[in-house]
Amino acid sequence: MSSIFRSAHDGRGFDIALALLALAYLLVFSAFPLVYNILMSFQEVDMFSLASLSRPFVGLANYMTLFANPDFWPIMGNTALFVVLCITFQLLFGFGLALFFQQDFFGASYLRGFFLAAWIIPALVAGAVWKWIFAGDAGVLNYLLSSVGLIDQKIFWLSNPAISLYSVIIANIWLGIPFNMILLSVGLAGIPKDMYEAAALDGAGPWKRFFFMTLPMMRSTLGAVISLGIIFTLQQFDLFASLTQGGPANASNVAQYWSWQLSFQTYDIASGSAVSVLMLGFVIVVAFIYVRSTRHEYSA
Amino acid sequence: MKKTLVLIAGALGLLASTAIASAEDVTLNVWTIDRQSDPGYNYVMADEFTKLHPNIKFNIKHVEFADWANDIMRAVATGTQPDIAYVDNPNTPFLSSKGALLDLTPYLKDSTIVDTTKIFPGPLSTVTWDGKVYGLPRGSNTIALYYNADMFKAAGLDPDKPPQTWQELYDTAKKLTDPSKNVYGLAFSANGNEEGTFQFLPWAQSTGADFDHISDPGAVRALEMWQKIIDEKLASPDTLIRGQYDSMATFNAQNAAMGISGPWELPRMSKDAKFDFRVALLPTEKEGDKRASALGEGNNVIFAKTQHPKEAFMYLEYMYSQMPRVWNEFGFLPSYPVEAKDPKWSAQYEVFAESMKYARARGPSPDWAKISKAISTAIQAALTHQTDAQTALNTAQTTINGVLGK
Repeated sequence: MSSIFRSAHDGRGFDIALALLALAYLLVFSAFPLVYNILMSFQEVDMFSLASLSRPFVGLANYMTLFANPDFWPIMGNTALFVVLCITFQLLFGFGLALFFQQDFFGASYLRGFFLAAWIIPALVAGAVWKWIFAGDAGVLNYLLSSVGLIDQKIFWLSNPAISLYSVIIANIWLGIPFNMILLSVGLAGIPKDMYEAAALDGAGPWKRFFFMTLPMMRSTLGAVISLGIIFTLQQFDLFASLTQGGPANASNVAQYWSWQLSFQTYDIASGSAVSVLMLGFVIVVAFIYVRSTRHEYSA
Repeated sequence: MKKTLVLIAGALGLLASTAIASAEDVTLNVWTIDRQSDPGYNYVMADEFTKLHPNIKFNIKHVEFADWANDIMRAVATGTQPDIAYVDNPNTPFLSSKGALLDLTPYLKDSTIVDTTKIFPGPLSTVTWDGKVYGLPRGSNTIALYYNADMFKAAGLDPDKPPQTWQELYDTAKKLTDPSKNVYGLAFSANGNEEGTFQFLPWAQSTGADFDHISDPGAVRALEMWQKIIDEKLASPDTLIRGQYDSMATFNAQNAAMGISGPWELPRMSKDAKFDFRVALLPTEKEGDKRASALGEGNNVIFAKTQHPKEAFMYLEYMYSQMPRVWNEFGFLPSYPVEAKDPKWSAQYEVFAESMKYARARGPSPDWAKISKAISTAIQAALTHQTDAQTALNTAQTTINGVLGK
């Protein structure tokens, strides 16, 4: 009895108990919802059968309905465009700013702190602010552009179907820059300074130092930032909810918002689950890349 | 030891006394979208009712309108539903068709307070399923045309002659639109959700079309008129992504000369609008066409699983009997004819009360959410010129036929 007790608090038993706790947490809060979601995508589900597991099995019918939906490919296209553009620009700006603040000048670290403000703001609040900026009739952006003389007609940033997706992308790039900047700054700080000094003595200019030293040394950080960025971008929901609701006419709709609309606006939970399972498949691939790129770090 | 015995005896006594109390006292769980502050319909009603029946207590839970359907259906699925709830009218058939609600018909037979034959046909149809009654309307609302009489005068239009037909509405909107002053002729909502459908249906219905034959020529002409209004910028392009409340804010700020919305605007309008605002019935396509208007607000229902059907029904009866007050205190229109004493905003009340006669329920259909989505999708597709009005509504019709199993 006492040996079990002792083991539970400082022996192998303690280790196992801790591991089991973590495992139980993962099972209940991650594995179960995932499996439940995948299960629902193969069943006929409505709001009233939400709580029971035994529902009619329909095989791939939910997926077939989804693929046959005329909105499917345009929305997937929007999602791809959203992810690619957001990641590209967040990374470019984030990396640029990280390099900039890496330079030794007065107030660099304080200024870098200011850039975190965007990250602190909840996406829903950011959405409300961007809604004022993008408003067609009395928006800040249109006012600025027209007072500088760049435009003579209002641009309807959110209600013009050709533009609305790009407006959400702009807002999301702004929202994601600080995250990229901070993680990349940490990566940059990890590169030993004396390497640069040695390289400079050997006659390597700033460009050469960047391309042949900084970039290769940042490889694993960049891999991690990009894969986390993709996951966060695919999670972006609040901005769509507060700016365009995917509209007009699905012009700015993306998979994650569509999945919610299907499940909770038209109660087509089966289709909503199917969309999220497709997204899950994609995220698993990204997560795999993330694990690969960070494994490098642990083994080093 | 003795002390323990005393304690146990005390505890038992306490248990017994609560058991006696619960045999008399009844607590009703109520879910509502009302807030405790500001009007808070259910909070007021429950308070008054408890004063009349001290043994009936209430436990009221506020649910956000946007989360309502999710919360209530999850509760039904897990058996944790309240005794009584407020249900938005287009959602009612969904619940009654699934057997989630208590059939009130036997109680109504003995009721001296409720006479369902008096209820306006619109609201009555939302609580009726398969010939049985599953709820009582708490009040209604509908939409009409607000207009800025001062702007009418300034433009040389007669403020006593608001537009009666679509053509007149279009001409008036055109005359009042002034981009240099940031003024649009009309504000309305063509949002890609329930609100867009809510605003569009009366236009279609007054031509004889309806949700189950939405590709009729009349509905197509209605949608083409909407296209014309948006294309010529007589209404803001943001109409496509703005709800009714945000759209009407532009009317209050004099950035729109007319606006289509309901009586829920009046409290804010009388504070914000510094001009002579008036209301007229929604224009029809041609003079003398059948009028139509949308039916809003919702019903009080009792869930089938309640332990206290009798007390719950008494509470429903009480709320129903308070109909003459709902306009002044809560901003709803009465759902059956009542003598409203000294109505606030009396001129506007007249018009809305008249409009109520033409208010038609959405559906009723247990799959209203899917039907509504098909219609708002068609509206958005046509207004963004992804397709023409006829094709858009044909697509909607195909979807709706599928939903209705035709």
